[in-house]
Amino acid sequence: MSDPILSVSGLKVSYGPITAVAGVDIEVGRGEFVGVIGSNGAGKSSAMRAISGVLAPAGGAIRFDGADVTRRKSHEMVALGLAMVPEGRMIFGDQTVRENLLLGGFSRVMRSDPEVEDDIERALELFPRLRERLGQMAGSLSGGEQQMLAIARGLISRPKLLVVDELSLGLAPKILDLLFPILADLNAKGLSILLVEQMASYALAVTQRTYVMENGRVLFSGPSAELAEDDRVLDAYLGRKH
Amino acid sequence: MEANLQYVLSGLSIGGVYAMVALGFSMMWSVAKAANFTHGDVFMLGGVLTVSLMALGLPIWIAAILAILIAAAAGALIERFLVRPFNREANAIGWMLTTIAIGVMMESFGTATYGPLPQPLPSPLAVTPLRFGGAGVFPQELLLPVVAVLAMLGLRLFQTRTHFGRAIRAVAANRVAAGLMGIDADRVTMVVFAAAGGLGALAGFLIAPVIQASTTMGLVIGLKAFMIAIIAGITNAAGVVTMALAFGVVERLIEGYLSTSARDAFGFTLMILVLLAFPQGVFGRKEVSKV
Repeated sequence: MSDPILSVSGLKVSYGPITAVAGVDIEVGRGEFVGVIGSNGAGKSSAMRAISGVLAPAGGAIRFDGADVTRRKSHEMVALGLAMVPEGRMIFGDQTVRENLLLGGFSRVMRSDPEVEDDIERALELFPRLRERLGQMAGSLSGGEQQMLAIARGLISRPKLLVVDELSLGLAPKILDLLFPILADLNAKGLSILLVEQMASYALAVTQRTYVMENGRVLFSGPSAELAEDDRVLDAYLGRKH
Repeated sequence: MEANLQYVLSGLSIGGVYAMVALGFSMMWSVAKAANFTHGDVFMLGGVLTVSLMALGLPIWIAAILAILIAAAAGALIERFLVRPFNREANAIGWMLTTIAIGVMMESFGTATYGPLPQPLPSPLAVTPLRFGGAGVFPQELLLPVVAVLAMLGLRLFQTRTHFGRAIRAVAANRVAAGLMGIDADRVTMVVFAAAGGLGALAGFLIAPVIQASTTMGLVIGLKAFMIAIIAGITNAAGVVTMALAFGVVERLIEGYLSTSARDAFGFTLMILVLLAFPQGVFGRKEVSKV
């Protein structure tokens, strides 16, 4: 792939003596929607935490937007154009919905970027339910609304790549049927997205390419449409019965 | 009755000192989840440095402002070199050792250079006492609780009305999430430590005309302020200030009705009992476990 937005090679993540990610290669092309599926504990979230700078990798290299970012911290990654919607959403429950959105554009607000308000407006058009709750404490939102807020908040930093970690966690299918098309829309408008998802069926339906991770490694990868028909995927992740 | 009024007034005064120092512990704990045990000595710097700088010929206000700025810089350095490197893992306690050790060194170094004796800090507000019936109190003493409450309200306003203030709350709530917003959580923590250091030194400067400035003035006040913060619920700034003022009054009442030597024995016993009844602090909420 020529000039990908994200290119991860030989990524290793360990917690003390425990290896969570044991050498992983992942690429996301510009404008691409890529998924990572795999069971609980496969190392998906650890890999995302290393890519977004939340934790330092034990080995390997991460290139983002043409530059080596292997040891960069999360706040530096945001400045470079990588936003992560973290597992468990991590909204600031004791601040209002609007304050959460402003925090999403922290450095832009600090330098008084006048276009932040436009971007908040655009995010609210994407998630009208947040508009009704703008002055409400974010902790009082439902799980689905919190996930909307987490995505909206991630967009305010104007990312070049949006990393979404476990979008479906704890959410009802009805909410997921609303959220996944919104991600697909954002991608159609040009945003590169890397989606980590345990619910393989949802991920395979919206992404273009998918990596399958187990035990800290990528087992195989390919176009999502093909993997959705692949026996190995059908058996292990889509619950096909023999 | 007049005796009681006297106890309350001078209790609010010492309580105001506890409040300003305890508020610093609260601010620092909220963002770093660590207690900076040099804080009592940073408080001491406010009095001792002001006296030392005045001895060089500086006027009191310049000396005080310089002392507060030096204490703020000390707060930032303490965060950067004594707390941050020793607070990387969840549940790390290395910062306890480093801050206690450097706190003791600051006091020894102060005693070696400034001398072991308390020195007076003249203040126009500590010359003529105000009379309330038979009770008397220096305006300087009344200033302390007023400044403490103003500091708490100012902090609250800053944290709710400014963008950087919101970032401080974000770091306090969830460091990882704050980083993902593009907030440099380490820098925010350092700024908060500097502000806490400056506030502590302000308290040291304001109380020095009443108790005189000595290098040992920070030890017991720092410890008490920390304990007050704990029994109040350390992340609740308003609760910490309220508890500090109340504790100051209780101490004076014990002194008045029992004796000065009974003060700490009864005061600390009371604290232990309060903590037994309210393990999260009287105004505390259950700490959400950090990930």
